[in-house]
Amino acid sequence: MSLTAFYLLAVFIIAFAVIAVTATNMVRAAFSLAVTFFLIAGLYLMLGSPTLAAIQFMVNASAIPIMTLFIIMMTQSRTTPTPRLWQMTLGFIAAAAVLGFLRAAVEHGESQTTAASTAVLGEGLLSAALLPFEVASVLLLLAMVGAIALARRRAG
Amino acid sequence: MVTLGHFLLLAGILLAIGLYGVLTRRNLIAVLMSVEILLNAAALAFVSVAAYRDPHLFAGQIFALFIIVVAAAELSIGFAILLNVYRTHGVVDSDAISEMRG
Repeated sequence: MSLTAFYLLAVFIIAFAVIAVTATNMVRAAFSLAVTFFLIAGLYLMLGSPTLAAIQFMVNASAIPIMTLFIIMMTQSRTTPTPRLWQMTLGFIAAAAVLGFLRAAVEHGESQTTAASTAVLGEGLLSAALLPFEVASVLLLLAMVGAIALARRRAG
Repeated sequence: MVTLGHFLLLAGILLAIGLYGVLTRRNLIAVLMSVEILLNAAALAFVSVAAYRDPHLFAGQIFALFIIVVAAAELSIGFAILLNVYRTHGVVDSDAISEMRG
């Protein structure tokens, strides 16, 4: 793994994530979010996990931004008002607190990764994590039915 | 050489950015987008720790997979609720729905 590729990905991920949480144009924020997730898929590739990279690309970098754009258009919220001063102060304090809390993370110096093949991941998913796997499929079905029932236009 | 600390620090920065977005955004759709960044930061931390520390089980990657599944379910339900908010209030602003009225 080259340090240059990591820093390039990291700089762009942070830049696009900042645009996604600060842009007043909602469409621009949604597209920045898609680019952020696409670059995080690149990080998963660097970590030796092509399966998760593919899933991240298909779900988080494609399906979720499209859904977000649809809901932005359906609710006609093209722009969002700028945050108030106390909100920005609170946000900065909370973000700084999180970073201060996580500053010990840089002390992890391991540099040896192991690649996860799709076969091993699938075997683990269907043996050790079989019950959560089934519960997740039921959860997705429930979410689909619930979203349809909630978004249905009521008669009258 | 890229170490585990690099990935964990990047996940922490993403967590801070997402938290800032959740606290400052006034449009509820934008709040949900910030929650997505938070969940992705957690998934990134899980995957990086799994890749560096866990050579056999890949439990961290399975966790990341479930985070993606739960995030997709949560987002679709959230957007359906916001569509109802838009139908009853005309906007999806957090200030507009502060009163408890049916």
